Amino acid sequence: MAEAPIISATAPRRPHRGWRLFIFYSSAVLLTGLVSMLFADLLWRTGWSASRTMLLTLFVILFLFIAIGCMHGVYGFALQMFGTRQRLTRLADYRTQTIAGISTAIVFPVFNENTIRVYEGLRATYESLKKTGELERFDFFILSDSTDPDKWVEEERCWCDLVRDLDALGRIYYRRRLNNEGSKSGNVRDFLNAWGRRYRYFMVCDADSVMRGETIVDLVKLMEAHPGVGLIQTVPGVVNAESLFGRIQQFANRLYAPLFIAGLNYWALDLGNYWGHNAIIRTEPFMQFCDLPQLPGRRPFGGQILSHDFVEAALLSREDRGIWFAYDLDGSYEEAPQSIIENAGRERRWCQGNLQHSMVLFAKGLRGLSRLHLILGICGYLAGPLWLLFLITFNWIHWYQKNTGLSEITLPAFNPYLANWSGTAHALLIFVICMAVIMLPKALALIDLAFDGARRRAYGGLARASLGVVGETVFSTLHAPLLMLWHTRFVVSNLFGVSVGWSPQKRAADGTAWVSAIQRHWWHTLVGLIWGVLMWRLDRTLFWWFTPVLAGMALSIPLSVFTSRRSLGARARKMDLFLTPEETAPPPELVALRASMKVHELTDDTTPRRRHAGLAEAVLDPYVNAIHVSLLREKQLNPVYAEELARLGAGSEAARALGEKLLAQGPDKLTAAERSLVMADAHTLVWLHQQAWLRPDELLAPWWKAMIREFSLREL
Amino acid sequence: MDVSMESAVSGAAGQLAGRPLDEWNAAYVKVENYFHALRVRNKALLGQLVLRVLERAMRRAPAEPDRSATQLAAEEMDRLVIEWFAAVLQESPANADQMLTTRGRLALLLADMPGRWQEQFLRPGPWPPEFVSAMSETYFRAGPDFQLSKMTPRSLDLGPITTLTNLGRLPYVRMALVWIGFALLLIGVFWLTHGGFEQTRSRLSSLIDWFTQFYR
Repeated sequence: MAEAPIISATAPRRPHRGWRLFIFYSSAVLLTGLVSMLFADLLWRTGWSASRTMLLTLFVILFLFIAIGCMHGVYGFALQMFGTRQRLTRLADYRTQTIAGISTAIVFPVFNENTIRVYEGLRATYESLKKTGELERFDFFILSDSTDPDKWVEEERCWCDLVRDLDALGRIYYRRRLNNEGSKSGNVRDFLNAWGRRYRYFMVCDADSVMRGETIVDLVKLMEAHPGVGLIQTVPGVVNAESLFGRIQQFANRLYAPLFIAGLNYWALDLGNYWGHNAIIRTEPFMQFCDLPQLPGRRPFGGQILSHDFVEAALLSREDRGIWFAYDLDGSYEEAPQSIIENAGRERRWCQGNLQHSMVLFAKGLRGLSRLHLILGICGYLAGPLWLLFLITFNWIHWYQKNTGLSEITLPAFNPYLANWSGTAHALLIFVICMAVIMLPKALALIDLAFDGARRRAYGGLARASLGVVGETVFSTLHAPLLMLWHTRFVVSNLFGVSVGWSPQKRAADGTAWVSAIQRHWWHTLVGLIWGVLMWRLDRTLFWWFTPVLAGMALSIPLSVFTSRRSLGARARKMDLFLTPEETAPPPELVALRASMKVHELTDDTTPRRRHAGLAEAVLDPYVNAIHVSLLREKQLNPVYAEELARLGAGSEAARALGEKLLAQGPDKLTAAERSLVMADAHTLVWLHQQAWLRPDELLAPWWKAMIREFSLREL
Repeated sequence: MDVSMESAVSGAAGQLAGRPLDEWNAAYVKVENYFHALRVRNKALLGQLVLRVLERAMRRAPAEPDRSATQLAAEEMDRLVIEWFAAVLQESPANADQMLTTRGRLALLLADMPGRWQEQFLRPGPWPPEFVSAMSETYFRAGPDFQLSKMTPRSLDLGPITTLTNLGRLPYVRMALVWIGFALLLIGVFWLTHGGFEQTRSRLSSLIDWFTQFYR
């Protein structure tokens, strides 16, 4: 493939964003201001105090968050109904663009993932792209950062199987790094340093991404039609959910996201954001401007930037490269966690990454809107602790009021229309407004659906979709307090520089195991029960108001277990609940993916593998050994890898001595680093293969004898 | 086969080529396992190949009494495979190095020997031209040619954050923090001695009262 020509960046035409931004955020501020006045009036009626000032401050902040969310829904709805020209796909006629001679790399960074799923997703994308007739303009790269030697070997073996199946040798490539420096962003940077100059564009996919071929071609055409654009982010639809939790989240994503993203695009325009995957990037400016610096100070705030995507988008925007959401392009998919606990695990990582953005928030030269994206990301996680603080302050005030025996209402409302309202009615009004602001985007999403016959049918009809919204709302009401407690824990831990431990959960055949749920949720249950008892004793009326929050906590264990069940997800599907377009009419890519995964599910050996099975395979299997050794030899061609291999000690006498120890004493007698060195040394591995098969049994550790026996019994 | 089995196996009762039968059985299993690992799935072919290796080992056995039948068979298997790779890939077995065996095994895999060419494996030439070309023309690339470059991080002026993160390193900041702590202590003392103490005590006692009532 020829070297990508360097494009001279033309100054992009800037859309008029100022008014949009002003109108959008003014709407949120106006709404917040009005409702906050009502709330302040309520507090004033009961007698002002320092704790009430705190409560009002928290209310203003929290209401502003939900008002901004609501405005995204409202503006998105208006744009969906009346249309807009200010979207990337409408700015130029991109479909007539030719992509002849344009080279694009599609990269799949992986880190100890489910290899079968990653490769089948890649296969589905590859075959879909093949159907467009433009396959030869694209190269696929599996960029492995896997640290588990078993995964490493499995990835190599499956890669070889995949390229043989698809006849894609020289089209689908595999590269594993020797170290994990910089995590995912370092992985992509390593790819760019090795091959970036060959490609004008590169597309980043996640391990669970699937892309439609036509969408990929459209993205390249859009890039060609808009030379000033540096990155186009698609809006991946969540698919393939099976558990009840997964299907609820999937339904919410597919139904609400179009409105929210349309609203987001309204004010962001060409200063959009990057979500780390399912996006196409112009290679040259990315390589020039987006190598991330190390942040000063210690972790969790200092060091490597964890959530690199937002920062990379900000750096591209700083250099006047447009970042757009292609929210009206279908055919971009991802998968989502299947249980509350898995979801919390992801939230933990994202929380740390987003909080770290506070370090770059004030970086010089960043665009104001980039800072706004960073702020919104941070606020998403600060909302949890602030809400908890709000509830505690509210409880404190109520307890204090009750305990001191002060009259609850001391003054009439300042607002003449509420002058004769009781305090309870006044509070109820504010509560209803808050609920309306939260629920409005959901209602608008349903109205939007009602006007679109094809979409309506894809969701199983308006009645089913409405039932789905009700069910989703009930679930999210119970789920929200758990997120509040988790986010609080994550934020506080991060602020104190402590990492929250998160061991892998025990899974039952059908979802989260009870033991695992108890381990994760016992403290939620305890908080819910203690809080509930205290409130019951304090004020029974207030207790009933708090039941949604308390119920979520107290019932967290069964909620977590039951919503993780695939059987319940299937039952809901049978009842046509939480249906999504990809379930009612699955696109060919997803049909192909599901079919291949089903074949694997039915035919793959599910018995747990022996410890160090990957190492045994790399040594004993003549083909896996040959693949592994060939890939290691190819690494030597890159001076950076060659240097790294030499630094590790590959090819040294020490590596050979470790090989001898491995044969004589077995892998358990070597440390993990020593095993990694053996696995990284081509010469030692060829020698090991020969010796393992040539040596008499008495010169081999019992482990080898067991592995050879196991090997001979396997159906190969 | 160039050596007859009868001449190779001659020896005392319960022995083959001067080795106990059990030893040859173990050697058979070892060689069979390796060919099984190479995915030679046809049982007849597999048995034939194993016997061929054993025959070579049995020829060596009388001259090398210190070595077990398994060792001899394994070595012969290795040699036979290398010689065959060298012949098919047209390389000299005398110069055979690690590269040849790796390349040979990879060629077997990519030419789909287990699926399409099982009967050709270890068979002396001439081989079908299609097989030879499949073996010799396969290439294995995990990536395109490197076009190396080096991304370098651009400096990012973090503004006040840089100042904040550097503050802790400055000696006078710690001193200022001590002063601030002292000032806060003074404010606390002032507050407690000007009604704050009573206020706190009254709030605490009412809280304790409430809890006492709660537990009754």
